[in-house]
Amino acid sequence: MIEWDKFFIVLLVSVVAGCGLVLLFSVGLRLVAAERGWRKPLGIASFVACGALIVYGIGLIVPGFW
Amino acid sequence: MVALVIVLALFFDFTNGFHDTANAMATPIATGALRPKVAVAIAAVLNLVGAFLSTEVARTISGGLIHEGSGGIQITPVMIFAGLIGAILWNLVTWLLGLPSSSSHALFGGLIGAAIVGAGFGSINLGVLLTKIVFPALLAPLTAGLVAFLATKIAYAVVKKKQRTHFKVGQIFTSSLVSLAHGTNDAQKTMGVITLTLIAAGMQQAGSGPELWVIIVCAMAIALGTYTGGWRIIRTLGKGLTEIEPGQGFAAEAATTATILASSHLGFALSTTQVASGSVIGTGIGRKGASVRWRTAGRIALGWVITIPASAVVGALASWVALSGIVGILVDAIVAVGVIVWIFLYSRRNHVNTATLHVEPTTFVRPKKTKKPKKTKRPKKAKQPKKHKKPKQNKNKKTTKGGAK
Repeated sequence: MIEWDKFFIVLLVSVVAGCGLVLLFSVGLRLVAAERGWRKPLGIASFVACGALIVYGIGLIVPGFW
Repeated sequence: MVALVIVLALFFDFTNGFHDTANAMATPIATGALRPKVAVAIAAVLNLVGAFLSTEVARTISGGLIHEGSGGIQITPVMIFAGLIGAILWNLVTWLLGLPSSSSHALFGGLIGAAIVGAGFGSINLGVLLTKIVFPALLAPLTAGLVAFLATKIAYAVVKKKQRTHFKVGQIFTSSLVSLAHGTNDAQKTMGVITLTLIAAGMQQAGSGPELWVIIVCAMAIALGTYTGGWRIIRTLGKGLTEIEPGQGFAAEAATTATILASSHLGFALSTTQVASGSVIGTGIGRKGASVRWRTAGRIALGWVITIPASAVVGALASWVALSGIVGILVDAIVAVGVIVWIFLYSRRNHVNTATLHVEPTTFVRPKKTKKPKKTKRPKKAKQPKKHKKPKQNKNKKTTKGGAK
């Protein structure tokens, strides 16, 4: 039989990771373009977090990366 | 025989490369984030690198799907040869039709057909076929489509119209990640097939990994295939399913990346092609005003449904002919080469390449037209070119329409 528990974990992780990546990048775009000074560092932080997620993805692909 | 199987396996690897270029690069090309040639070059390099990253043999091909070893049916090089013919021919047919079908499913189908003819229905593990291939094939596009739908909603809710073009930068990273993952996974399958053949022929010890030369040639074959670029499938995924904007492209690639990495690392493998196609459809539904061409989506789904049976039929036929002896193997090889050449020549009638792809970078937003402009409001007249200035006239002088007398 199909392993539904594994599938639902994959679904959940995919939704969180995929939407999380887009949310971080979108927030970064929005805040970096803002005029108020305090928003720009937050936008840059969002991009850094997004980059960290990408690096984590590379780590998953490359064996022995960590 | 072994040399023939290796050549065929490498050609399958090549077709796998150009068939699956679209999975990673269709949306960046469609949005103008990357120029077509640059996109396929990046994908080729990352596929080449990816192929060297992991040296584990892809056991899925032989491990479980077809009973093998002392307790089951021994896979022979002739069966692998016939299975590869089925996979290659089906890959080329779907490429000709511009359908993004799974190369792995074509390979599984070809091997299943060849094994049934060579060793009977008992050689196939139907339970594994259903749980590892058929059900995941149904769930892959649904999962990726849901993720892409939600991600598109988020992207369009958070970012203003004028900033959305910057999503192109993000697309380069996510599509590169998909290419790297593809190189790691798919090149392994061909390495597995060649290693299996060498073991079956007694040229390599059972249980050992792929030789270095096998890794190198497989990496080069998939990279070369990727660089060749399956422009027909890129056109279908990039422009045929829906009009893709940078925000959608980024959401789709993020969904594809997340789903592939999650599935391959949590023990529920999903097809890259089906995930990528599902993401594009999901992002088409997710943007207000966008529309999905369901007829094209239906054709793609039909292609997925018949991939395994069709390649199995070809594999079975090839196996039936090949099992008659050396003449049968030669007949198989000649017929396969003839069909491949015919497909390439036929494809020249409607040649698709970077020049004929007609990919124009999409604009930010194309809102849905809901109301027609009111009749009372006349559209503004276009600016008339400036007329030559009339010579200044004395106010006291009388003038006519024709000008000063």
